[in-house]
Amino acid sequence: MEGIGYAWQALTTTPAVFAAMAGVVWGILGGALPGISPSITMALLLPFTYTMEPMTAIILLASTYVGAEYGGSIPAILIRTPGTNAAAATAIDGYEMHKQGRGGEALGISLTAGILGGLIGLIFLVTLTEPLASVALLFTPPAYFALGILGLSVIASLSSGSLIKGLMAGVIGLMIATVGTDPISGVSRFTYGSPELLDGIPFILVMVGVFAVSELLVQASTPEWVKSGDVQTRIKLPSWSMQKRLLKPNLIGSGIGIFEGCMPGAGGTIASFMSYNEARRWSKNPEEFGKGSPEAIAAPEAANNTVAGTALVPMLSFGIPGSNSTAILLGGLLIHGLQPGPLLFEKHPEVIYGLFGGLFVANTSIFLIGILILTPTIWLVNRPKPYLMAGIFALIFSGIYSIDHSLFDLYLVLIAGAAGYVMRLFGFPFLPLVLGLVLGYLIEANYRRSLLLTGGDHIVFLQDPVSLGLLITALIFVVGSAWRDIRSARKQGAGGKGDGAAA
Amino acid sequence: MTRDTWIGVVFLAFAVLFWFAADGIRISPLDGPVTAAGLPKSLAYALGMLAALLIVRSLAIKRVTTAKPVAAEAGEDNSSDLGNLRQHLRAAGVLAIGVGYLLVVPYLGYTLSICGLMLATAVYAGARFGAKTGLIAALGGVFFYFFFVKLLHIPLPPGLWPDLLSPLAG
Repeated sequence: MEGIGYAWQALTTTPAVFAAMAGVVWGILGGALPGISPSITMALLLPFTYTMEPMTAIILLASTYVGAEYGGSIPAILIRTPGTNAAAATAIDGYEMHKQGRGGEALGISLTAGILGGLIGLIFLVTLTEPLASVALLFTPPAYFALGILGLSVIASLSSGSLIKGLMAGVIGLMIATVGTDPISGVSRFTYGSPELLDGIPFILVMVGVFAVSELLVQASTPEWVKSGDVQTRIKLPSWSMQKRLLKPNLIGSGIGIFEGCMPGAGGTIASFMSYNEARRWSKNPEEFGKGSPEAIAAPEAANNTVAGTALVPMLSFGIPGSNSTAILLGGLLIHGLQPGPLLFEKHPEVIYGLFGGLFVANTSIFLIGILILTPTIWLVNRPKPYLMAGIFALIFSGIYSIDHSLFDLYLVLIAGAAGYVMRLFGFPFLPLVLGLVLGYLIEANYRRSLLLTGGDHIVFLQDPVSLGLLITALIFVVGSAWRDIRSARKQGAGGKGDGAAA
Repeated sequence: MTRDTWIGVVFLAFAVLFWFAADGIRISPLDGPVTAAGLPKSLAYALGMLAALLIVRSLAIKRVTTAKPVAAEAGEDNSSDLGNLRQHLRAAGVLAIGVGYLLVVPYLGYTLSICGLMLATAVYAGARFGAKTGLIAALGGVFFYFFFVKLLHIPLPPGLWPDLLSPLAG
């Protein structure tokens, strides 16, 4: 009942409602721009959330995620260029419908499917999060250490690129997290006399750098995307008979989204393509897929919006983000000193239940906002890329400076951006690095705390049953992924394709 | 040697350097069984092992894949390197614009510097250097000034202008 009270507060408090709507607007605009992923859209907002009240900040970031998942479908339908990876499946039939003069109908289907998927995802988020978080109450310091290792292992094994590179990225993230003052002994590590580094390297700088700045560096040599000549498109909402036809693909998409969202490393892109395939399999008109089928838009859009809700489950329950976007959201929580997990439910229930209420506002208000904001979004997508790049660069620098008023931070962001560019070049995934940085303190503190209990004997990690179970699970993921890599390399060798030098 | 082999070598070297840097962390009487250097050293070992695995993996893959004719392979490598070199130089140019902003902002102040940043970025990204681009950059700078300084009350760098203009005001 207390939770409902907090959620109601979010629904009726002006800052919370405003944050939800503002997040949706920002998310749609950001998600609609090709090359600007939901995580980049959220990362650009992070510096501004420092001075906000925690609940408002988290609602703003989560609503941005919701908005971006819909926003990505707009260019996917109008110019066959998905604004987000998760909208790639929507582009297949969405653009076909647009060519047939049914672009407005496609946008309407995307909007309604997204709302339904988002609400279903929210229901599962509310239902699953607290019980799973209660499980974490059984965790001891060895178990928390093992959980951090499991999180890194799972993300490294499921991220794009090779397992070894994923693990290396995670280790590098943990290394970056050791810079600064050791929280236990007070000794400075890797600061080399720099007072700015005594507090460590804030993960927000690395997040904004690797996600947003590296994207700018890549965009510097990427051709301009195709513009939409159709600025008069209006959303056409599906009729009741169409909604009945779309019920099955919506449910298929949401079902897959529930499962994929809860799985770390899976995410909206996989969910949307799986939904597309399954919707075609179960459709009465599978021959329409690829030629402008409404079901082919409904299923992936329902899926990726469901994921926007259920992807928060592992992050809120255990503090293990399963995607880039939830990693940014975790960053938003940590900025305000909030550690996800069962204690967050006990100590700050207003944040969690307020978030649930805010997401409800976001998923429902997206209906009206999505209709109203379509024309400005198309206008924005049609702006010349040089001006958009200039605006984003200025926003990054201004936002980062606003955190600590330090030009040194801006140098760090540029360095992180360069590192992110190099990582893209050599096929290193971002998420394990970000996760290592964010979880570094949790992993080290619990590692050292565990050894304090046993006087330095590492057997404690094997004696604790939860720790042992989590470490074995981590090993299974790593070995499984390694086996997959080896089989893939053997097939590559047998096929004689390429020289194997690519990442 | 393949690209991944070189990456492995670089990271192996970095792991060694990191280990030595961690070895220099002083021991505190407040340390427990694991000192402040404990985790960094463990991470250096982990990175070293992973780098070695990457080297072994890349060499093994190279060995089992079908070899291409040497001339064609050399040609392919060169052309992709040239194409990539242009891309990398373009990216470096964006970084240079960012560094340029950081060098001038203590002197010119935030508003002028951000206008310059936007102008330089837009022109570098392909916009024509002219009145329109200049106007957009100027309007953008003014917008950011009002948004951050006036609306959000963030004390962005004023530059040398207060010192230069205070005698006139005084």
